[in-house]
Amino acid sequence: MPTPSPARVHDCTVVANEPIARDVFALRISAPALASGLEPGQFVNIAVPGNAMSLLRIPLSYAAADAEAGTIDIWYAVVGEGTERLSRMQPGDSTTVLGPGGHGWTIPEGCRRALLVAGGIGVPPVLCLARELAQKGIPYTVCIGAATADTLVGEHEFEEAGSPVISIATDDGSAGYHGFVTDAAERVLELEGDTFDYVATCGPEPMMAKVSAAAAHAGVSCEASVERMMSCGFGACATCAVETTGGMKGACMCGPVFDAKEVVW
Amino acid sequence: MSRVDMAVDFAGMHLKNPINTASGTFGFGWQFQNFFDVSTLGAITTKGCAAEPWPGNPKPRMTEVKGGMMNSVGLQNPGVRGMVAESGDFLADLAAKGTRVICQVAGHSTAEYVAALELFEELCPWASAFELNVSCPNIDAGGAAAGSTPEGAAEVMRACRPITKRPLLVKMAPVRLPEIARALEAEGADGLTVINSIPGMAIDVHTRRSKLSKPTGGLSGPLLHPIAVRMVWEVANAVDIPVCGVGGVTTGEEAAEFILAGASAVSVGMASFAEPDAAVRILAELEAWAESQGVASISELIGAFEC
Repeated sequence: MPTPSPARVHDCTVVANEPIARDVFALRISAPALASGLEPGQFVNIAVPGNAMSLLRIPLSYAAADAEAGTIDIWYAVVGEGTERLSRMQPGDSTTVLGPGGHGWTIPEGCRRALLVAGGIGVPPVLCLARELAQKGIPYTVCIGAATADTLVGEHEFEEAGSPVISIATDDGSAGYHGFVTDAAERVLELEGDTFDYVATCGPEPMMAKVSAAAAHAGVSCEASVERMMSCGFGACATCAVETTGGMKGACMCGPVFDAKEVVW
Repeated sequence: MSRVDMAVDFAGMHLKNPINTASGTFGFGWQFQNFFDVSTLGAITTKGCAAEPWPGNPKPRMTEVKGGMMNSVGLQNPGVRGMVAESGDFLADLAAKGTRVICQVAGHSTAEYVAALELFEELCPWASAFELNVSCPNIDAGGAAAGSTPEGAAEVMRACRPITKRPLLVKMAPVRLPEIARALEAEGADGLTVINSIPGMAIDVHTRRSKLSKPTGGLSGPLLHPIAVRMVWEVANAVDIPVCGVGGVTTGEEAAEFILAGASAVSVGMASFAEPDAAVRILAELEAWAESQGVASISELIGAFEC
């Protein structure tokens, strides 16, 4: 029998839930047992009370977990009724969270330098990875993309984590470079590809596809954190399938982080 | 200790209680073992498998709707051999603990149902029964195409019946139920699972595209529970073989509605996704309801709806 998901249902309490950009919120929950067991790139599946017509949990990546404080920081975009309801949760409100989900990033042995490419609300799992790299003393370069300056998140946090270089791109030019984050990533890989041993990316799929191709062209291994609609988050429903060179694989158990060259983009 | 005997007889099987799981919502059982002791359930029904592995449909495969969800998984499965290699030991152990293991059989044609069932019969000595899924709304051939007419459903049943002496159940499409049920009974079906998800559509009006990878998908969840109860009642009145009620059960009382409408067993489906141990809670609530009815055995309540 394959290994079942280690996920459990944990009680949790909202500690904070504040907007950090347009339609983006930072939620801090207290869930000590889960906070101490999460690895960068994994996800949690949160129940959002308040609508009897909505039955499924919302699967979300996380930006930080503090084992000592027992808290988990989740950044999420308000994109529909469920996340809108989540944005109305107040400190002290309680709910349950199912996790940990899936497996996270795998930093290659002996990695000299990493390139992190995050787009939109793909920032949180990449930020989580940045802190892990900083802790291991591995230098990294970050490229962040957003539609507009007012939806951009993560700039300060990446700097705090210790990033030496941040390249920012916005679709409308309202912050940083006017264009796609992939342009910056491609240029970095073209000029300095041989100094990198690892590329990690999370964001819209066309973005990750381009980053994956650029990494492959530069001969650098690349991982991508993939998003899917998900009913259960622990391997039972088969709704979160990702097409890979090895067949359909569930994002919840085989991902959400995949070897980018295995994903059929 | 309960004062009510929760055991029921269903399609030639003795179930320690009426709670079963809907195929496709419970994996192969082991996915839930970390959340609760699966052997507390009367039965589980495993994800439909065909003779060979199926990749299933492209993404997106799921969209949430008010009061339920829609899926377009397309019966992704590892094939019978893959399922046995992966999950056989767990399921054999579960069967040894007295939980009936019902294996669902998938196919695109009568010949494929036969091929799959022959493999199940040979490779799964621990299986208590087989459920022919002639009603999947998400595959292009077979599935609902086979199960939407009395002739189509009967043809599959007729071809499969000689392959096994174990109970054969049929997962029914939500169409022409009484007449298809009678046709299946005539061909030797031991029980009927009512209902499969209902074909539906969800359109993203901004892109004008389906929210799923195909135009239609299977609708499931609490929003269809009253329809499923009505259909169970109609089928139970049409045939003498037993029925398992499926559709949007989230509470013991909703399970009780199926029992009163004539179901001998009740499957929990979508509820297990957000609340992995929903089935055990529903079992406890069903037991409390049976006690409240002052019966010695829950069997006395099967079909006890008064009208």
